[in-house]
Amino acid sequence: MMERRDFLRNTVVVSAGVLVAPSLFAKGTSNSENHLTILHTNDTHSNIDPFPENHSRYPGKGGVARRFELINKIRAEEENVLLLDAGDIFQGTPYFNRYGGVLEMRLMSELGYDAATMGNHDFDAGIDGFVKARQYAKFPFLCSNYDFTNTAIDGHTDDTFIVQKGNIKVGIFGVGVELKGLVPDDKYKETVYIDPIDIANDRARDLKKQGCDLIICLSHLGYEYGSDKVSDRVFAQKTRNIHLIIGGHTHTFLEKPTEEKNLDGETVLVNQVGWAGINVGRIDFQFEKKAFAKKDVLIVE
Amino acid sequence: MLKNFIYICMGAGLLACSSVTTIHTSAERVEVNSVYDHENRIDSIVQPYKKDLEKEMLEVIAHADHDFTKGRPNGTLNNWATDALLDNQLRTSKGQRQVMSLLNVGGLRNPISKGDVTVGDIFKLMPFDNNVVWVEMPIEVLPEIEAYLRKRGGEPVGMVKIEKGKIRFLDPISNSKTFWIITSDYLMNGGDNMSFFEKKVSFENDGVLLRDVFLEEVKMQKVLRYNNEERITFE
Repeated sequence: MMERRDFLRNTVVVSAGVLVAPSLFAKGTSNSENHLTILHTNDTHSNIDPFPENHSRYPGKGGVARRFELINKIRAEEENVLLLDAGDIFQGTPYFNRYGGVLEMRLMSELGYDAATMGNHDFDAGIDGFVKARQYAKFPFLCSNYDFTNTAIDGHTDDTFIVQKGNIKVGIFGVGVELKGLVPDDKYKETVYIDPIDIANDRARDLKKQGCDLIICLSHLGYEYGSDKVSDRVFAQKTRNIHLIIGGHTHTFLEKPTEEKNLDGETVLVNQVGWAGINVGRIDFQFEKKAFAKKDVLIVE
Repeated sequence: MLKNFIYICMGAGLLACSSVTTIHTSAERVEVNSVYDHENRIDSIVQPYKKDLEKEMLEVIAHADHDFTKGRPNGTLNNWATDALLDNQLRTSKGQRQVMSLLNVGGLRNPISKGDVTVGDIFKLMPFDNNVVWVEMPIEVLPEIEAYLRKRGGEPVGMVKIEKGKIRFLDPISNSKTFWIITSDYLMNGGDNMSFFEKKVSFENDGVLLRDVFLEEVKMQKVLRYNNEERITFE
């Protein structure tokens, strides 16, 4: 576990070299109202129990009850915590085959998830199956580039979500992967996939206009591809105003977030933490109070 | 200071009137492991589902007189799986078609051991939610499939014999320009590098899970049909 003290010390060291007078900065850090901890998962795939001890790759790893303990421990240490998921909650164990995703939704609500987006496997119970399980979720599903107008999901997802954490106003939205070829047609029915880049730019601009200090995109596009298929890395480079992309789909185990430059040359963080609930990603943001608003600067330690 | 800030913001007419700007970040990946083992209310929510599921998974649905194991080029599990798939799919007629079944050794995830066969055993054999598909292939692609099977050292097949690497249909239809492979959507879509499926003429996917087909057949057979014939030879 990372100690908060280490984090702060690192922050000061870096900021002294790069940014502003340390004395000014030190005042900011004493205020937990300017500190935000993002916790995130992706591709948990119905893994409720830990992997068995004789599992060939991840013996004894994961488990929702343990994730609950881990999250609660961090919540006890940090004032402002957001818990997010980047999709593919469904499919992977008999829990899903038998209960259609209801248990997954109940548990995520119990863990206090603030928002999630839909992955391709979240269509595996069909449109109606998702809606049925969705009733047990006490958090919004953020989907900006699926048009659900002619489906039963219409009205069960949100475009954007704004939440105030201490002094920090956070804006969140979500984008999903193209479903054709990935999901049988009869599962997603008349859901229309829309290219995520234009939509993301619109949403992020709207969130910025509404005064959000931090803009997060939950993405199930996938981390990167050998082809020109849009991935989180490509998406980060072709958009503006997004600070953090929490990704999924490719089950990529990143040690730490990747830094990309967006259309305005600003830093965007892209993260993904594997699958099956083996890991929880943690990203801490320390905001600095300033006399007046300038362009946001993201400093990564 | 704060007043000043708001004043400047309004005066400048800035779009984003944020009170905080510069952001410092740090990140780490936290592993979920036994460090966090502690009885909590998640366990009590999961318990009834788990009990129910275990009851279902432990249900005995058939008996096996032998161990069924996979292998290359042949295996008793290979034969069982491809035959079960055929039995199931040919029960409801799809007309006069030249048919074979094809699965992959890698996709048979667990052997079936001698003794009671439970629902859980079939979930372990086929944990993936792959659909059964019928794929119509041009007859000219046969040599490509033969080459693939030779390179792989064999994969589970049914309704055909592969003699010295050559595919022979057990139930040949003369002058047929195409034939149908009953397989999984995973393999049809290029899984295990079965790229010959790119040459398909058409396919049918009724949304039936391969696992459900296996479960159905296991229940019908009661005693699993053991077949140790050597379907594939390369020499």
